[in-house]
Amino acid sequence: MTLLLGALTIGLILSLLAMGVFISFRIFEIPDITTDGSITLGASIAAILLVNGVNPFLATAAGAVGGALAGAVTGIIHTKFKINALLAGILVMTALYSVNLHVMGRSNVPLMQAKTLSSQAEDLSEAWVGGDTLSIFGWPVASTDAALLLMAFTAAAVTGFALYLFFRTHIGTAMRATGDNSQMVRALGANVEGYIILGLALSNGLVALSGALLAQYQGFADAQMGIGMIVWGLASVIIGEALTGARSLGLTIMGAIMGSILFRLLVAIALRWGLNPNDLKLITALFVFAALVLPGLIGKLKRRFQPAQPHA
Amino acid sequence: MLEIQSIRKTFNPGTVNEVRALQGVDLVIEEGSFVIVLGMNGSGKSTLLNAVAGSFFVDAGQIRVAGKNVTKWPEHRRAKLIGRVFQNPFSGTAPSMSIAENFALATHRGRPRGLGWALSRGLMDPLRDRIAGLKMGLENRLDNAIGSLSGGQRQALTLLMASWLKPDLLLLDEHTAALDPKSAEQVIALTNEVITRDKLTTLMVTHSMPQAVSLGDRIIMMHGGKILHDLQGPEKKRLRPEDLIERFNAIRAREQLDESAADMLRKNYI
Repeated sequence: MTLLLGALTIGLILSLLAMGVFISFRIFEIPDITTDGSITLGASIAAILLVNGVNPFLATAAGAVGGALAGAVTGIIHTKFKINALLAGILVMTALYSVNLHVMGRSNVPLMQAKTLSSQAEDLSEAWVGGDTLSIFGWPVASTDAALLLMAFTAAAVTGFALYLFFRTHIGTAMRATGDNSQMVRALGANVEGYIILGLALSNGLVALSGALLAQYQGFADAQMGIGMIVWGLASVIIGEALTGARSLGLTIMGAIMGSILFRLLVAIALRWGLNPNDLKLITALFVFAALVLPGLIGKLKRRFQPAQPHA
Repeated sequence: MLEIQSIRKTFNPGTVNEVRALQGVDLVIEEGSFVIVLGMNGSGKSTLLNAVAGSFFVDAGQIRVAGKNVTKWPEHRRAKLIGRVFQNPFSGTAPSMSIAENFALATHRGRPRGLGWALSRGLMDPLRDRIAGLKMGLENRLDNAIGSLSGGQRQALTLLMASWLKPDLLLLDEHTAALDPKSAEQVIALTNEVITRDKLTTLMVTHSMPQAVSLGDRIIMMHGGKILHDLQGPEKKRLRPEDLIERFNAIRAREQLDESAADMLRKNYI
């Protein structure tokens, strides 16, 4: 049960990452590798502020703002300096590695003693429940685990709903159209470059928020924690699309959240069954590759093996 | 009102691919005038439209729309004054978004977009009415993705979008060329209706001689990046498609003559 709860909590925290990747990858069709750097940036800013006794909400928000700035930089490099989006992301990600080390002052900041959102959630749960365990459908559950899950769920639900509302506003609608048909958006008087910068800032802000929460949940920020997180986000988005199937906005955002949770659960089960943790990134990458290639391949095979339809 | 003063544009200057697309074009279009632009492939007619729309900046000259000097304005800024319909039906609409969402974008052409609800009731009611006016049965499909519609339907919607906020200038770039004849006819009828009703200042590029003759109050024929003929008033009214084809043949004949004459000169004198 602890395992399940843990997987759910991390899945929910990383669903913010998935929503960020959804914006960059599905709306702008940019595989924005800034993600790998900005998740660590969010974690390191939040961690260093927490260690220095800053209010956890403020520290978390500051982490998100840092990520948004990083995303904006990628957007500016891509649109104003006409550098390929992938390369712009690589540049910023690489630069962020040094930035993160500077922010933290070392490669790892533990948060064991600091007052964090997680520790506050735990304190609250003890105050409310008044005991160490509570029973959910008859299972005894550590009340602190339940509190953390609730915190992660609240973060994911609030962010997902806010994102949905945002994409239904005039600015949000124009942003979605930018990825769909930039020529049309320009002809309707919207600044395409501005929307790409804003979109990447939003995307990386969410990713960094996810990183800030993750650092508080796992109790440390680490310079290496971002490696391969973009692929993780892609996997979540792709699973989410398979789950919901529909193209509607609300369902896609829900899908990203559900995809992130399901993917984390699958990983937890695989690790439980004895998967070597070192193979995790390899398998994640293979999974995303398969998910990107298979739909087209299956369609091709179907056409090949279908008897030719007589023309009407 | 559109005022173009001796604009020039050369693409890929100094390379083997150098194209002198516009070589000093002067044109003044009065408010409410509907001008047809004709010309063979490569004559510069689409380039002229794109120069006005701001797809690129001209090398020399000046462009004024509604009295404002827009020569240095980027494309999205000019969109405040200019409505456009493209040749490709896929260019004017966002395919994966719904009809209503596309119109929500069009209702804010060139205006600041805030955090207001895009699909407000204030939009949906008039939208349903105006789309019902197309008589295409689309008023009940406002939530459908626009990508699921036919090319003709998309061009009709793009035209409605471009003219939703009355533009100071409407640019139509062969907007029926990619459609089947029946859809093209429908879109042209709608075009004429919208332009006449709102008295829109319009610049329309076309390849179709019948369209050129039956529509508009002025015809401009372009060749080699310049305006060759400017037909208006009674002359335009009397025009038949055959007259236009004759003029095109004259251009072609003169080009061939020029070439053979040049050849002869080269042989005899060099």
